[in-house]
Amino acid sequence: MANELSKGALISRGILSQNPVFKLALSMCPAVGMSTTVMNGLMLGVAVLFVQIFSSLTISLFKNWIHPRIRIPTYTLTIATWVTVIDLVLAAVFPAAYAQMGIFIKLIVAFAIITMRLETFACKESPSDSLFDAIGMGLGFMVGMVAIGFVRELLGSGTVFGYDLLGFKPFLFFILPCAGFFVVGLMMAFFNWIEAKYRERMAQKS
Amino acid sequence: MNKAALKDISSIVIRLTVTCLLAGIIMGLAFVLTHDAKAKNEQIRDERVMYSILGYDKANPAPQTMALHTVYRYILTAGETQTVAYLVPVSDKYSFVELDLSGAFVRQAVLDADALKLRNEGERNAAVAAVVPAGTEARYADQFIIVTNEGKRMAYILDGRYPGFKTFIRVKMALDAQYAMLGFEVLEHEEDPGLGAEIEQKWFRGQFEGKSFEQLKAAQVVREPMPDELRAAITAKKPTEADAKIRADHVGDPIYALTGATISSRSVLNGNQAMVKKFAYRMDLLDKVLQAQGIKATF
Repeated sequence: MANELSKGALISRGILSQNPVFKLALSMCPAVGMSTTVMNGLMLGVAVLFVQIFSSLTISLFKNWIHPRIRIPTYTLTIATWVTVIDLVLAAVFPAAYAQMGIFIKLIVAFAIITMRLETFACKESPSDSLFDAIGMGLGFMVGMVAIGFVRELLGSGTVFGYDLLGFKPFLFFILPCAGFFVVGLMMAFFNWIEAKYRERMAQKS
Repeated sequence: MNKAALKDISSIVIRLTVTCLLAGIIMGLAFVLTHDAKAKNEQIRDERVMYSILGYDKANPAPQTMALHTVYRYILTAGETQTVAYLVPVSDKYSFVELDLSGAFVRQAVLDADALKLRNEGERNAAVAAVVPAGTEARYADQFIIVTNEGKRMAYILDGRYPGFKTFIRVKMALDAQYAMLGFEVLEHEEDPGLGAEIEQKWFRGQFEGKSFEQLKAAQVVREPMPDELRAAITAKKPTEADAKIRADHVGDPIYALTGATISSRSVLNGNQAMVKKFAYRMDLLDKVLQAQGIKATF
């Protein structure tokens, strides 16, 4: 049962080979709803990163006391607790950012990616391994959100981080929710294509 | 039921209870630790909105001599009769001034609390309860702020809530000493995005600015586009003399409705009209009583 990957491999796995957005296709709803700008994507990514780290650590520390029949309610309670804490802290410390994304923070409770990590990893592994796995997955989600946000913001409103780069709006369509699915799909295809090419080259070398 | 199952059930119940208790403690701690900062943020936001509708910002700060005086209004119910009470600041204390519904003076008392204490709703209610006779129920109604500069009244700031197209619209409004509109800000609303939600827009709100009490009372909503020059003048980032002149020329205009949101536009106008009318009536009555009774309010 024990984890055999090194700490570095745990982090890179979350960002690359098991990226929650592009590879596992989890938590698509927020990815599509919130990724209209780079800033929004980044903020939600940071919030998810923190919730994932705290929840993974908690579950990993208390795994021996969790009754197997009530795993899922316990996970949900844990996540909800940390989401509430992050929600309160954000409201107190960054009121301006909170005003923009307040309602999306509460949605993190229902993120499949966090529950999935708790169920498949944190409840079996040691706290330190769970911490690195959580960092990897959280960063992977953040990278995915920022990448989608970048494409949508640039193509939809011609800006990046709110700075006007193009001076015009190429496709207003990309700001709309449905375009999020197109962007996710296209980027997924793009990353799969890169991976396929990479594998091919590796196969030729050997 | 066998023993093993019973043991399982009780173990699950205990674990869930403990989890919930722990979660509650953590959330409670976070709430306590962040509560003060949150309340402060809200106050800062409130103040910023207040200064912005008075026309002050970082580049153009409010004068040092400006002072804010908060007046609280309470509704008193004793059996069938209703009266209104105002908590009015006098020197360093607050005075409790009771008026009947026609505006005649009933009585006055000194409250055992200062401005800071009264800001807290619980302490304020307790202070009021201490001066009203037994059997009378005192209910907090609203509050407004009187802004003075060098002892002269400069503006009134009111909070209000009126029905919009869907639910209530909450606004903060500033009037000058003659009840002319200085401006208002939409704090909360649930109008349709892209249609009624445009009531937040500066060009729409800007139409109300500068309207005198009479002009506002007589104003109507028209379903016509706003003249381009007026719109440009209202939304100008750095308003010039020419912009101010255009706005002054159009101050008697009707309210140009938002496209596709005539009902929201009309709600805002009607709501603002009602707020200003009621406030002007109350303020005039209060002023008359304060003068007749020789109560020296700080404003």
